[in-house]
Amino acid sequence: MGKGVPSYTDEEFVAAIRRGDDRALAQLYRLHYPMISHYVLQNSGTDDEAKDVYQEGVMVFYEKVRDGSLELSCQIKTYLYAVCRRLWLKRLTEKTRFGGRLDDHEPFLETGAEADLAAAEERDQQFALMGEALDRIGEPCRSLLEGFYLLDKSMQQLTAEFGYTNPDNAKNQKYKCLVRLKKLFFSHYKEEESF
Amino acid sequence: MKTEADYYALFEAHRNGELPAQERADLERRLAADPDFAQQYADFTALTTTLHAYGQRLSTRRKLHAVQAAMDAEAAVELEGDTLETGVPTMPQVYISPIERKLREFWGAHRATMMVAASVAVMAVFTTLLGLEWWRAAQRPSLYGYTVLRREVERIKRNQRAMNKAIKQVDGAKPAVDLNPGKFSGTGFALTADGYLVTSYHVIQGADSLLIESRDRQRYRAETVFTDVARDLAILRIKDRKFSGFGRLPYSFKRGSADLGEKVYTLGYPREDLVFNDGSLSARSGFEGDTAFYQISSPVNPGNSGGPLLDERGNLIGIISGRQMDMQSAAFATKSSYLMRLVDSLSAAGPSQAYNVPRTNLLTGTSRPKQIRKLQDYVFVVKVYE
Repeated sequence: MGKGVPSYTDEEFVAAIRRGDDRALAQLYRLHYPMISHYVLQNSGTDDEAKDVYQEGVMVFYEKVRDGSLELSCQIKTYLYAVCRRLWLKRLTEKTRFGGRLDDHEPFLETGAEADLAAAEERDQQFALMGEALDRIGEPCRSLLEGFYLLDKSMQQLTAEFGYTNPDNAKNQKYKCLVRLKKLFFSHYKEEESF
Repeated sequence: MKTEADYYALFEAHRNGELPAQERADLERRLAADPDFAQQYADFTALTTTLHAYGQRLSTRRKLHAVQAAMDAEAAVELEGDTLETGVPTMPQVYISPIERKLREFWGAHRATMMVAASVAVMAVFTTLLGLEWWRAAQRPSLYGYTVLRREVERIKRNQRAMNKAIKQVDGAKPAVDLNPGKFSGTGFALTADGYLVTSYHVIQGADSLLIESRDRQRYRAETVFTDVARDLAILRIKDRKFSGFGRLPYSFKRGSADLGEKVYTLGYPREDLVFNDGSLSARSGFEGDTAFYQISSPVNPGNSGGPLLDERGNLIGIISGRQMDMQSAAFATKSSYLMRLVDSLSAAGPSQAYNVPRTNLLTGTSRPKQIRKLQDYVFVVKVYE
């Protein structure tokens, strides 16, 4: 985009993102944002809604890439467009403002994005439950688990932070917390599943 | 007895591959043997992977937010005339001002509404115009096929301008002084020696000011004295101070009715020059049997309106009014008897308005070219300004 940033091809993007290259992700994000923004604005959306939908769409793509389970049968652009289109459609139905036809300005292909989205939705639910369970577990378990699993801190760091005498204590505490989290998480999870 | 937490420590070590070979073999054996224990292990795995994935999801979201925030910040910096990415591959960016951006947003949001409004407006305008036209046509159904003969100067002027241009280019002459030719023009002729004139009513219809122009380019300003819409007559009076009278009029007005088949002729200004036309009196009633008019078989044109119609002896027998479109050379002229009746009634109305209508005829017995030579000074262009 004329700022001295190396430009990637689709394959390079996928490879770089799989390696965890944040710059590639950022560039991918910038590259296709206008398309989605334009699309959402064309179809009675606002700027903020466009950002939301686009971030969700990129997230789906990103997680598939990191999984290594992405089977890209088309351009990234088309894939993102399909995902975001689907997401926006869903939002519109939720808002019950959707009058029927969507204004497409990109070729809309069967990209497998629909199936990916279904999986992503399931995962979203799971994450929501996890977030809820973490909220309910109480301190200091919450901080401890978040520190270890979400923020990737080492056991030594956590030991110092929480004032445990040695890493083994901290570890033990962590395992106890995990057991509690498991109970909270699975009770909900199973409940949801049994619906 | 080990607690679940202790098992978790074991599981984690196993997953990280930190267990010594012996313990690892034990654990795996136990997992294979005890389904409950295996379930515990599966739960642990599910829990930790979900936790990890959740953590990654959060960090990714933060990254994306950061990117978006950076983009927003850049956009805010470039607010004064920024580039809009259109998403169209052939033209990825256009430079637009903030005002234009607002307009674009407005257009994008209200395009459909505006288009509906515009089409409704267009429909309304055309319906109104057509309706008005229809209504006006319905108001005067009897005039179908009848054309009044006043000349629309503007239209002719346009043609002439094009011609003049061509001529000027040829001989390179200086452009003539552009005189305002008026909007309409017709013909008029003297009624009395002291400045009364006759023309058709429709010539001066809607006039703001009138200008009388004689053959020798003398111009007088005139005012309307009386009009008769039904007979299409108008009497004008010259109001210029410098005007000193026409002199003795050579023709007289016929009070009776003219005979069928009489040879008649007329003078008028359908162009910038005086034009003579002749024909016969073909009927003693006018358009749709109107007895106030004669029908004559003489070619007349727009601009002839208000011109005098004379018989062979030089009696004025009518005033040219109009023609019928769908008939071959059928022109109509108001009978002079109606003009005389009008003049008489106006004279009777007040002694201050004396109409000294000529009673003697100087044209009788002379040849037609001679008649016309005498007559031409008493026929005028009536120019109408609206």
